[in-house]
Amino acid sequence: MLNLEIMKSNLLKYTFITSFIITLLFSTNGVAQELDASNYKIRFNLKTVKQSDNSRLLEVIFFGQNKKDRKDKVPVFDAEIKFYNDDTLLGTSKTSNEGIAQITVPENQTYIKDKDGYITFKAVFEGSDGLDEEDDDVSIKDLHLELNLEEIDSIKTVIVKAFTLDSLGVKIPVEEADIIISVEAMLSKMKLEEGTIEDGEFEFEFPTDIPGDANGDLIVYSIIEDHDDFGNVIQKKSENWGNFQNQIVKEENKLWSEAAPIWMYIVLTILLVGVWANYVYTARYLFKIKKEGKQLEVNTEKTN
Amino acid sequence: MNLENRKRELAKEFSPLLEKTTKTSKIWIGFLIAVILVGVYAFFLQLFKGHIVTGMRDNVVWGIYIINFIFFVCLSYSGAFISGILHFFKTPWKNSISRIVEIITVLSLIIGPIFILLCIGRLDRLHYLFLYPRIQSPITWDIIAIMTDLIGCFIYLFLTFIPDFAILRDNSENAPKWRQKVYKFLAIGYQDTPEQREKLHKVTRTMSAMVIALAIVAYSVLAWIFSLTLQPGWNSSIFAPYFIVAGLYSGVGVIIIAMYLIRKYYNLEHYIRKVHFIGAGIILLVISLLFGYFTFSEYFSRWFSHKIQDANLLNTLFTRYFWMFIFANYIGVLVPIVILFFKKFRTIKSITFAAVIAVVGLWFNKYLIIVPTLETPYLPIQDTRPEFIHYTATWVEWALSFAGVAAFILFFILIMKLVPIIPMSGIIDNERDQKKNKKVYKKIVTE
Amino acid sequence: MENNKTEKGGTNRRKFLKLGLMSSVTAVAGASLISNLAIQDEEVTDSGEKMRLLTPDGKIVEVDASNINKYPEALITPEESRKGIPNRKFVMVIDLAKCKNARKCVEGCQKAHDLDYNEEFMKVQLIQDNPEASPYWLPKPCFHCDEPPCVTVCPTGATFKREDNIVLIDNDRCIGCKFCVTSCPYSARQFNWGHKDKFDDTSQPYSPETSVPAAEGTVMKCDFCPDMLRQGKLPHCAQSCPMGVIYFGDKNEDIVTNGEETVRFSQLIKDRGGYRHLEHLGTKPNVYYLPAVNRQFPLERGFNVDEDIIERYKDVPYVQDLKKQGKI
Repeated sequence: MLNLEIMKSNLLKYTFITSFIITLLFSTNGVAQELDASNYKIRFNLKTVKQSDNSRLLEVIFFGQNKKDRKDKVPVFDAEIKFYNDDTLLGTSKTSNEGIAQITVPENQTYIKDKDGYITFKAVFEGSDGLDEEDDDVSIKDLHLELNLEEIDSIKTVIVKAFTLDSLGVKIPVEEADIIISVEAMLSKMKLEEGTIEDGEFEFEFPTDIPGDANGDLIVYSIIEDHDDFGNVIQKKSENWGNFQNQIVKEENKLWSEAAPIWMYIVLTILLVGVWANYVYTARYLFKIKKEGKQLEVNTEKTN
Repeated sequence: MNLENRKRELAKEFSPLLEKTTKTSKIWIGFLIAVILVGVYAFFLQLFKGHIVTGMRDNVVWGIYIINFIFFVCLSYSGAFISGILHFFKTPWKNSISRIVEIITVLSLIIGPIFILLCIGRLDRLHYLFLYPRIQSPITWDIIAIMTDLIGCFIYLFLTFIPDFAILRDNSENAPKWRQKVYKFLAIGYQDTPEQREKLHKVTRTMSAMVIALAIVAYSVLAWIFSLTLQPGWNSSIFAPYFIVAGLYSGVGVIIIAMYLIRKYYNLEHYIRKVHFIGAGIILLVISLLFGYFTFSEYFSRWFSHKIQDANLLNTLFTRYFWMFIFANYIGVLVPIVILFFKKFRTIKSITFAAVIAVVGLWFNKYLIIVPTLETPYLPIQDTRPEFIHYTATWVEWALSFAGVAAFILFFILIMKLVPIIPMSGIIDNERDQKKNKKVYKKIVTE
Repeated sequence: MENNKTEKGGTNRRKFLKLGLMSSVTAVAGASLISNLAIQDEEVTDSGEKMRLLTPDGKIVEVDASNINKYPEALITPEESRKGIPNRKFVMVIDLAKCKNARKCVEGCQKAHDLDYNEEFMKVQLIQDNPEASPYWLPKPCFHCDEPPCVTVCPTGATFKREDNIVLIDNDRCIGCKFCVTSCPYSARQFNWGHKDKFDDTSQPYSPETSVPAAEGTVMKCDFCPDMLRQGKLPHCAQSCPMGVIYFGDKNEDIVTNGEETVRFSQLIKDRGGYRHLEHLGTKPNVYYLPAVNRQFPLERGFNVDEDIIERYKDVPYVQDLKKQGKI
């Protein structure tokens, strides 16, 4: 996940290169003429996610969808997207090669709300010679999601509280909202429970047989998805609730490990030492024979 | 100085073998060199273009190279084995053939491993075998075994050559200077004194025992390359002894062929006599019975228990490879047995014929062990490229195979130019022994 | 034959040829830019892989993926790749009931590992266990065995078993003896028989974790895409499968995912009767299969592929029957 973020930021760093390439592509449009966008219906969708650190992610997905072949989607790349709260510019970002533009608004940002407490976000692509202007907006209430992992009578319990704050800072429990409890895995999140928050609260008995990581730690998520009033809200918490039992043993001295089983070294050594001792023994005798030969030569010379 | 005279006599008798080169032998040498050169060209082609020039592909990754490798290495081990036994048990009629056996041993042990090198995709990284050795790998064992065996065989061969070098050193006044120097160096001051003779006999005896042991280990390691894998046609516990017997079978066969050719072209009828052929023929008979027994056991147990993969393999063997199977495992075993079993069939020519059948049959026996097994893996081959489904050797592979055989013969001829093919020292030893107890060896005067 | 197929296979091949001039220009431009900015010392070369994008000016363009995709990735050197990702034990679960031989896994894998048409780390086989049995499609990657015979027999340690269950090949170390190919009972390994131009591609440094670039005279096979796993992504085959056939995950966590749903590994194996292929060989594979029961697609859907692919299955009794009836 982290890597992904780094990559994205790196991509942004190279905007110069990418924009250069784009200009270049534009200048050679004679070659690319047949690939006109007129067959494609342009999609432009804004979504908002309140993240676990209470910052807010605004994300635009911008792509063209083939009118005939709906599976054929072409992302819009390097388009500048402006994100607004009412008329206040929150930030701008360019779409990635997947057609995604994102900004993260920090927790301490104060938003303009309407009289019912709704915050309106708007994303705008200002248009170009070839593409029309696009915009999309969402209005949501700022939902506070509290996630607590508690052991009640040695039962591991997930307790979620959801409320909004009125203008005076008074907590107003959410009447009803669908919620998902998930646990994080290496490649994805695993859904444990789907339920409904009623009167601002939801409780869930956490299963006892999830291993977690090597320390038995696991990360629990409570997620509200695509709610009409609240958008996406995610909260997470880590707890040592896993029952990780797999012993991580390093395999050594196996046929398939780097070092061989000990007996193999022993047998090989015995064999080789035995054979080479014999060779040395033979060589020694040969030297003796040679010595004797020399002696004989000297003797015969003497007698002569 | 009766003994010295006899030595001089023998040296004179064998000197034409060493010094004269006849026209036919010149043509032969030229032909062999030509075959080798084609092989060298094929080798460079494979080196630069990659293994794509061979018929090997992803399923059959080892082809006739590995079959030649097994064939030559087995030949060598069996040479060592037989030679070791001849020396160790002081076999009476060993002298005429022991040198032939020793030369076969060393030559095939040099040529065999070249074929395994041809199987290796990255010859430039060969030294990794020593830089990053893993002793779990049967290939590592094989490399250690071959190298140890090669050194052992060289030492052993040298030991048996020393007395002859000494005789040649003392009796080659007319030979060129370089020859004299070579003989002097190789004879390491051996003067055939009783002490020296005793010492030499002692180490030769120990080394002959060592060479037998090494051959058994090396054979087994070679068989294990195949039998330790999970492949249906290879994963067999009798493979190690089977390879020993098969190796001896081809070994004795090649020795008989070599005896026949040497006897014929070097006019050594006086030394290599019918009695040798009959002796070797009887050994070949015994081994062919053993070989047939092992072959039968191997396929019989697969056929009887017929695990699905074994059944598939047998099905391939009896359809696509039917005639090869018949030739290798029926004709290649039964014909030598029939020829050698009946006394009246045992002539020099028929024994040699049986040996040829045995050797060629054995090569195909190895082919049937390697190729059909790789063509019937556990999961069916689902491919449309014919060369990935079935293996056919390309001309490159054949050229290199024949180059190997040519090199074997060429080196054999060249070594025979350096030392007499019949050990002179052995003749003298025998004559000495005969004088001591004439009665015992009366019947076996040839040595 | 092979070339023909490659052209058919790569949908963008024809367009790529048309844009050949353009991409060579971009390559040159990229190189000069780099020398100006000195951002990276790697040269931008044409990887041949095209990516279609819509520009803000409303033009659909194809650009060379190496120009866009060039994130400076963390290179895992051959030495580092021997260690494995700590505390992980990767497993794959393949749900045979969902496979319809769409071959997207094969294609995704080939694209990611720069493989030719006939080079497949992931093969889809049609298996009919006996003439009466119902045949099924069997996607077959490397099984990354716990007791891998290929690793045992390697004389130089070029192929190795990592602590995270993955069996990799370091083709810098491989001497090409092919012993591993013969000792693998699942025919998972392939040899690079001859030279190919793609081996000379230096646009990315070699890592056993990507298996790219391959090298002549060495062995290659499915690598479970550890480079993707390090980024928290699924292997290419699992990612490309439109049916969610391939689940992948960490056995220590006991969680596997196919990108759409995430489930407990042990539960999945228990509920669906998961098994390993050729269990009796004792190699202890890390790829599990869910039997092809209650199938989501009729088998015939799998024959909606190239003639050449169908031809591969000609020895399967079921296919022979179909041919007799003139259905194929």
